Formats: sequence, C-alpha cells, structure tokens
Amino acid sequence: MTATTATTATTAGIPVRVRVRTRRLALYTVLVSVTGLFLGPFGWLVLSGLKTQGELAASPVHWLPDTFQWHNFTDAFTQIDFLGYARNSLIIALLYAALVTLSSAFVGFGFARLDAPGKKVLFGVLLGSMMLPQMVTLLPTYLIFAKLGMVDTYWPWVLWGLASAPYLVFLFRQFFAGLPRELEEAAIVDGCGHTSIFWRIFLPQSWPVLSASFIIAFTWTWGDYIAPQLLLSTDRTTLAVAVMTAYVNEGGTPVPELQAAASVMYVVPILLIFLVAQRGFVAGMSTSGLK
Amino acid sequence: MTVDQMSPVADRPSGRAAASAAGRAPATGRRRLSMTARRHRAFYLFTSPWIIGFLLLTIAPMAYALWLSFTTFDGISPNWKYVGLGNYRELFNDPVTWDALGRAGLFAVTSVPLSIAAGLALAVLVNRPIKARGVFRTLLYLPAVVPPVGAGLAFKLLFDPNSGATNGVMTFFGFEAIGWLADPYVRYVLLMTVLWSAGNVMIISLAGLQDVPRELHEAARIDGASAWRTFRSITVPLLSPVLLFQTVTGMIASVQTIMPMLLAPLQDTSGITTIPQSNYLYMMHVFAQYFALGRYGYASALLWVLFVLILIATGLIFKFTSGVVFYNVDPEAKK
Repeated sequence: MTATTATTATTAGIPVRVRVRTRRLALYTVLVSVTGLFLGPFGWLVLSGLKTQGELAASPVHWLPDTFQWHNFTDAFTQIDFLGYARNSLIIALLYAALVTLSSAFVGFGFARLDAPGKKVLFGVLLGSMMLPQMVTLLPTYLIFAKLGMVDTYWPWVLWGLASAPYLVFLFRQFFAGLPRELEEAAIVDGCGHTSIFWRIFLPQSWPVLSASFIIAFTWTWGDYIAPQLLLSTDRTTLAVAVMTAYVNEGGTPVPELQAAASVMYVVPILLIFLVAQRGFVAGMSTSGLK
Repeated sequence: MTVDQMSPVADRPSGRAAASAAGRAPATGRRRLSMTARRHRAFYLFTSPWIIGFLLLTIAPMAYALWLSFTTFDGISPNWKYVGLGNYRELFNDPVTWDALGRAGLFAVTSVPLSIAAGLALAVLVNRPIKARGVFRTLLYLPAVVPPVGAGLAFKLLFDPNSGATNGVMTFFGFEAIGWLADPYVRYVLLMTVLWSAGNVMIISLAGLQDVPRELHEAARIDGASAWRTFRSITVPLLSPVLLFQTVTGMIASVQTIMPMLLAPLQDTSGITTIPQSNYLYMMHVFAQYFALGRYGYASALLWVLFVLILIATGLIFKFTSGVVFYNVDPEAKK
C-alpha cells in the first residue's frame, strides 16, 4: 500500500503506463520475497535433513552440506520403527476421518433438513461448542479414558469419530441446506423414511463435502501431537510423537539430522494431500470462516 | 447464538422449511401431525451422535474437572480429599499463575492482531489480477498445513543459535548472533511460528474479499478515493464478520497452542520441564501441573479458571465489536 501511494505522489509527471509497470514490478517483488520467506523454514528443514551431524552443529552456520547425505532419509527408517509409527498414524487418521465424516454428515443432515422443538437452541450450542478450547476438555477426558482402561488403545479415536465434529457438522449442514427441497419431497410422498432419504439421496450428492471433510479430519489427526502423546505408549504412538521424541542415541542425545529427515517425510504426505485436494480443502476452510 | 448472527444465510433454509410445512398445514391436518411427530423423532435420531458425544466427551469431562478442582486428587495417593475452594485460593495466590496468565494474554493480544493483519495483507496482494496468483496463493497457504511438530522442528533448526540460518544472516550483515531459543528471544520465535501460518487468515479473508461487489470499488475510484481509503472504508467493513471470526478463533487457538513445548530444547516425555520462562504460557503451566506434578485437582482448577476467562473474553469481543461489525444482508446477492 505504501509503495503505491508513494509512486502516485512522486511520479505525477511520468506517463501512466510506466507508473503501472513500476507498481506491478513492486507488487511482484513483494510477493516473491514474502513467498520466499514463507517457504524458507521448510526449505531449511529439508536442507538440515541432508547435512551431517557435524555440519548441523557447526558454528557459524554451515549453509550447504558438503555432500548431500541422502542416506539420512533411509537411516531415519532404521533408527526407529518409522514405518510402524507411520502405520499407527495412518490407522488412527483413517479410522477417525471415516467415522467423523459419516457421523458429521448424519448430524448435518438433521440440522439442515429436519426440525423439532429445541433445534435452534441445539444449533446454537453446536456453534458455541466450536469455540470451546479442546485442550481444556482433553485433559479431563484423558483422566476418564484412563479410568475406563482406554489408554493405549485406539478407542478414544473411535469415540471421538462417532461423536461427530461441530466444525464438520456445520460444513455438511451448509451443504445440505443448499440442496433443493424437491429432492426429498418426492421420496416422502413415496413413503421413504428419512434414513433412506439420507443414504440414498443426500449422501450420494455430497461427495465434494465428504471428501473435504475426510481430508480435513485426516490432516487434523495426522498432525495431532498432544492426544497421542497423552494416550498412547511409545510402541503404539503416532509418527508425530515419534518424530518429536524418538530420535535420540542411547545416551539420550538427540540426532538432529535424522529427526529433520524424518520430519520431512512426516510432513510431505500432508503437503501432497493438500496440493492434490486443494480445491475442496480451501472450500472447506472458507465455509468454516462463516463468510 | 453469536456465530449465527455472523452468517445471515445460516437460518434461511430451516426458516423456509418451517414456512412450507406451515403452508401445507390446513390441507392435511391429520396426516401432518403424525408426519411432524416423525420428523421430530428423526431430527433427534440424526443429531443424537453429536448430542450424546457432546454430553459424554465434553460436558462430562468438564463436570468431572469441576469436581476434581475441589479436591486434592493426584491419581496415586488413595486418601485424597475435598478441599472446597482451596485449589482456587492457592492458584490466585501463586505468582506463577499470574505470570503465566500475563504471558498468555500478551501472546494473544500480539499474535492475533499480527496474524490477522498479515493474512489480510496477503489476501489483498494475491487478490490482485496478476499472473500466477494461484501459485502464490498455494505457496503462501502451504505453511498453514504443516503439522505443528514439523513447524516446531523447522523453526528450532532455523533459529538455532549456532547453526541456524537466522543468526547466519544476521552475522553476515554485521549484527550480533542472538540466543533465539532461550529467554527472552524465544517468545519472538513463537510469534513467528504463528505468523508463518497466516495463510489460514489469508484464505478465509480471500473468500470474503471476492464477495465484495466490484461496483463498490469502482464507485470509490470514480469518487477519487485513494487505495488506502478504499481499503479502510469499503474492504475492511465488508470483511468485518470474517475478521471478528478470525479474532475469536485466533484467540482460542493462541490459548491452547502447544508450540512452546515443541520449541523447547530436548523433548522428554513430560516435555514441559525445559520450556524457557518467556514461553511458559498458561496452558504450559496447566500441563506442568497435570503431567510433571500429577496435581490433577489443582490443574483442573487452573483449567476452569481458563475456561471462564475465555468465555468472558469471547463475550467482551462480541460486545465491543457489535457496533462495528457490519453484516451485509443483501437479498439480491443470495437470491
């Protein structure tokens, strides 16, 4: 903004075309440098994964590795049971994403297409509960799960999945509410129940939201650090926890180059999912912004 | 509810459904009754996963925490007892609580406005008709999908006092190297991790920006308004519901961030014992009491205080913005 006002103020005598061109150049310069800054931390992570331990400890900074240590990326697999942890992450994320998507679609349909006394209040509670800090409920929930013997099992994710997520419910509710009324009217006349209307008519229509919801829930769970850290033992825990805590020598000293390589491999799947499914992802994000 | 007001569309479909149901009423009086009853039953059937889940996984733990907050329960010793408001009295008299709360408050009032401003600025930039803006949007948003563990590690390496790139650049330009990951600088690293995911705000603001009618900008230009004036008087008011939503969710996210833990020197299972003082936010204090010390009763009291404070803060935000936030209810735009 300041750049544009500056040019208009000082270049009154210069032809419009030149002014537009300098302005455009300034815009690109800003954009390119900001984008560079934004990609910097991840680039540095990748670079760190390609260095030796000595280079990573060097002071002053050793900018580029003398030779690229590609073997860090394979060593990361053998230092810890990387694939085992990845499998744990995958199981939990798929389990939760599938369940929560289905249950949220179910609940979203209820809020979009049916009514009953108390619906308004319930919907208010639903929206309000989006603003509940999950960390506040997570800690006492952990104590309850411990009491019920569900620590070190995947049951908590099943329960969380079945309980639906307010945010995704809202997503489905917005989508279902936008579908034309005629969709179910004919079915009602034919004597179809609401459950079969949901399964046979609404659910097949909603694959864009279904996939958006699935991807959002999957990335949440894949990225979650604190719940698996609290609930799962070191063998059954997820990749997030393993990457953060498991790359240490027998003496307990961290192995940063393997940790960096491992975290790149931990992050990249999420980035790829995002790049492939970008449209749905972004649509989901902006609906959640309640525009 | 409050969020409901932000979305003028939210209530329409159900309103329409109710209206058409009422319209059918006189014709089929008898059948309608049973149909209505069935609809009501179906509504509760469909919403039951959420209702039951909310009761069991949100209300019950909160109630359990409230009960624990009046006890000395630690999970181990069998003779824990009811102490009434003892835990609350202790936490109010503990300067550590107040310091942690103050730091969390400071972090919220700096990180939230900064990331909103940054996200909005990015949104305005990538909303310009330029080449490859899709690429810019994607790349700027990308950091926001990096999981916290990856982000924390990347920033730890980037700001490593010896081998980090930041100190490398700074010493190259003749500045002193800084102990970024220790007191007092680590709080700025924490702030930068938040700014790094400003793409979140960007994407949501962008959706709002694209809803701003073109004619408004053209009219402003014809009236001779400067770019800044147009931004301030047209863009910001029309975006205000989005910005309000960002403020509230940003504040709540800032309260529950675990980034201080991930930026701390060496991760052990408790993870909380190595957090530098300036990143020892309120939530970290709760974690320390919970897991390092096992003081479940006391930590539950801390949680409830936090919960009430968040409710108050949210209420205040809505109260003070109610006159400022502009809800664009445009009947033409939504048909």
